[in-house]
Amino acid sequence: MATTQKYEFAGFEVTETLTGDWQRVWIAFLRVLTGWWFFHSGVTKILADGFNYTYGPIYLRTEMGDTVLGPLAVWMGNNLAWLIKPGVPLFETLIGLALLFGVFTRLASVGGVFFMTMFFVGNADFAHGMVNGDLMGLLLFLTMIVFAAGRYWGLDAILEQTSFVENHPRLRYLLG
Amino acid sequence: MKFHEMETLDKAAVLLSTGLMFLGIVVLGLIETFSGRPYFPTTVEQTNEAGEVVATYTPLIDPNIRVGLVVAGIAVLLVYGLYKLVQPATEAATTNADTTSH
Repeated sequence: MATTQKYEFAGFEVTETLTGDWQRVWIAFLRVLTGWWFFHSGVTKILADGFNYTYGPIYLRTEMGDTVLGPLAVWMGNNLAWLIKPGVPLFETLIGLALLFGVFTRLASVGGVFFMTMFFVGNADFAHGMVNGDLMGLLLFLTMIVFAAGRYWGLDAILEQTSFVENHPRLRYLLG
Repeated sequence: MKFHEMETLDKAAVLLSTGLMFLGIVVLGLIETFSGRPYFPTTVEQTNEAGEVVATYTPLIDPNIRVGLVVAGIAVLLVYGLYKLVQPATEAATTNADTTSH
């Protein structure tokens, strides 16, 4: 089935022709792969060291010390180690599961944006330019939020039709 | 909803967040690239065949400045998201009919 959409851009009429559900499938596909990426990262930390990721606070204090987020990162490394050690594997796993199943996708993606911002800033791996894997991962999570990726073959599509969400429509900013 | 139909605050959030990231990544990247070696936002050491460092090239623009602009763009999005959460729900938030797929 051909889907044709027309819209105006800079005074020109643009016709976009796609076949079938390509856009929705692709967004769902991106969501599932992004979810798998974080789920795998989190669950392997749990399998290896349990909920005791000791490198987390060290990363914040050392790798991020001289960055633009240095003061915040060092403070977190010194004062929130009790949360970071279990939190990194736990939240990576939960973010991954949320995206895999498309449930609370936007809320989970905000968590993903936080993680990826810390990786982008802390790793500072710019030998091939500013656009690196960390930034692309960060943009993937922002894309999940902007496109409400959980609505495409995700559980958020069902949750958003429940009476509870109907009565609390702002929840859609966290779902979707 | 088309761009010109958006409320002023929504337009400001879109332009400011993407603008800051565009400035940090693309605009300053162009300046960095065409201002000569090292072409990248990282210090590069040139070595001879013996492995001795014969020249060191440092970026024209401190990478922290460019990273800071990206982080600032994300911070704008965070503030905007929190604002959308606390303000009364709009029509856009109360419908998902055009995107729902089963």
